[in-house]
Amino acid sequence: MLRVVVAALAGLFAAQAYAADAPTEIKIGTLYASSGRFASISMPVYTSLKLWADLKNADGGVYVKAFDKKLPVKIVAYDDQSNTATASTLYNQLITQDKVDLLAADSGSVLTAPAVTIARDHKYFLFDQTGTGASFFSKDNPYIALMADPVSTIWPKPVADFVIHDGPALGIKKIAILYSTNEFTGTQANAFRKFIKDSGVPVEIVYDQGVPTETTNYTVIINNINNAQPDAVFTFGYAPNDIAFLRNVADVGVKFKMLFVIYAGLEKELLEKNVGDKGLEHVFTYVPPSDLEYPVNFGMNLKDYKAAWDKKNADGKLEFGLNAIAGYTTGLVIEKALSVATSLDQMELRRAVFSLSGNLKTLCGPFALDETGGQTGELTPLGQLEFDDHGHLKFVSIYPHETATGKPVYPRP
Amino acid sequence: MLTYALVAGVLFGLYFSLVGIGLNLVFGVMRIVNLAHGDCLMLGAFIAFGLVALTGIDPLFAVPLAFVIFLIAGLLLYWVLVPRLQGSTNPEMLSIILFFGLSQVIEAVTTIFLGTSERSIPSRTLGSVFSTIKVKLFGGAPGSTGPVQILGQGFPAPWVIAAVTSLIAIGLVYLYLYQTRLGTLTRAVMSRRDEAFATGIDVDRVSAAAFGIGLGLAAIAGIFVPFMFGSVTPAFGADATVTSFAIVVLGSLGNPLGTALGGVVYGICYMVVQTYLSSWADLLPYVLLIFILLLRPSGLLGRRVRVA
Repeated sequence: MLRVVVAALAGLFAAQAYAADAPTEIKIGTLYASSGRFASISMPVYTSLKLWADLKNADGGVYVKAFDKKLPVKIVAYDDQSNTATASTLYNQLITQDKVDLLAADSGSVLTAPAVTIARDHKYFLFDQTGTGASFFSKDNPYIALMADPVSTIWPKPVADFVIHDGPALGIKKIAILYSTNEFTGTQANAFRKFIKDSGVPVEIVYDQGVPTETTNYTVIINNINNAQPDAVFTFGYAPNDIAFLRNVADVGVKFKMLFVIYAGLEKELLEKNVGDKGLEHVFTYVPPSDLEYPVNFGMNLKDYKAAWDKKNADGKLEFGLNAIAGYTTGLVIEKALSVATSLDQMELRRAVFSLSGNLKTLCGPFALDETGGQTGELTPLGQLEFDDHGHLKFVSIYPHETATGKPVYPRP
Repeated sequence: MLTYALVAGVLFGLYFSLVGIGLNLVFGVMRIVNLAHGDCLMLGAFIAFGLVALTGIDPLFAVPLAFVIFLIAGLLLYWVLVPRLQGSTNPEMLSIILFFGLSQVIEAVTTIFLGTSERSIPSRTLGSVFSTIKVKLFGGAPGSTGPVQILGQGFPAPWVIAAVTSLIAIGLVYLYLYQTRLGTLTRAVMSRRDEAFATGIDVDRVSAAAFGIGLGLAAIAGIFVPFMFGSVTPAFGADATVTSFAIVVLGSLGNPLGTALGGVVYGICYMVVQTYLSSWADLLPYVLLIFILLLRPSGLLGRRVRVA
């Protein structure tokens, strides 16, 4: 009897100590850019992460296995104004002053880059939302995993495979490559070039130039590309680059037989507003998860999420695209990781995140990590933008053939 | 390729002359650096964007509208800010801080109201008034402007329209400075502010007019931003100010007409570099700035000043 009483009291004390250890909330530190060059890709990511947090908090919080209870989520966020120096200071502040439980990077490779080093130095696990730069991921850095985009080195694989396997039959023998010189787009261009060269396919690269990321005027470059007479043009730039490039192509009156740009797919709404439907017709691009109905096993499906997004952003200041679901996907990974992590120790969080690899399916597709933390599951097929019967632009998936929904229109009429 | 780059450079450069001329006018008269100059361009772009979104008319109609709005805003702003600034011990340094702060406020407020996303105006709308007039006078069907052929090569019609507008604006500034009484007084103030004051010139009135005109010219340049740079965001101003400053120094700080030459030189250099060394193109403003400061600190059209 005495043993039973002692055991019960011990259990009671242990439970009290367990509850006393539990924080009042889970603090997730992140940055956003409300101004500057990367604002248009940062704000949708931040807004969708907040959307996830709001939905969870309305439901009583997220289940945290380490404390065996639901806890509300608090997003601690600062504005880095698209400035990497400011971002460095603020990432440090999140870790050393705010002592956040989890650290999520700002959107895009440029603003993620400072976080990678700082997180590693402080032994903080970085929830890398959309920073896909290949140099972030290495075997000797266990403190990072990519949430919502594939690594830059595998982004252009379907595009290169299309050129390699279908290109010769279509008559694609000469290609032009134009890229913005930053981690995200520069890496993609390098990977694309390597895929083509390594394949041994008889395709000649007749133009291959990098331009500063700040470039928003391409008239002369378009003329130079046109003089090289390529059968296909592949440009790797951010949204402002793609907007300027496509507008300049239309303004100069040049018609490339095939034109690939990244953001016509990733941020279709934004590009439609700025370039217009006609400017995007027949353009090749990635088909993003925001336009593909991936089956999910956790979180909302695309239709429900789009409705929640539209309700939250009724003012129309933010467009719905890949970035608008990236933050939500990060939230889902965090939620799932907290539900399996036995403590909030950073290496335990890493273990929890990696345990999800191959088991989690979100709006962005199947979540799969390689050993360095690079995302390898959420691949983006090659597609082409065409008008449907109602005059609206729609994606036609072109490559890989297994997921294709149509044939490429080549050359562009 | 070189011919195309040269012609594009002249068109682009003429536009950049308009971008910089307002900044130089303000500096020339008041010796203050308006670091919010680029933000005036950005606001001019949003005026055009708003006008087209609301009415669907040619953005060229925004030119007089933006000029008048910013002329009035400039006059009001002058009386609020500048006399206090001029009364300080180091107005040039304080102006940098003051207008940097103003720039930040403008960007933040614009972001709050308009969001952070890129905004554009369809290229076909610019100059549509001309095709409408052409159809009314000569008949035919209205259509898009299409590229303009110069030396057998196609250039964007908005570039040509922006270059022509810039030439007209620069010509009007020239007429203002050399053919009007207020312009003569303005040149007097630009030459020696203290002596102009001593001779009884109402320096504040002249300066206020120059400040208003400077902002108005920036706003006019801003109308063409969506066409020259693809799109505009509230963050556009900072880069535009830096480029404007480089052009102004290149031409001659304090000489508005030197800016016209500075803009063309900048435009040609930019397009040639973009053609042959595209990765380095964005370094150009800074490289030109360093070269001109080392080789000819007074700028291309600068006059030697002898201080007795």
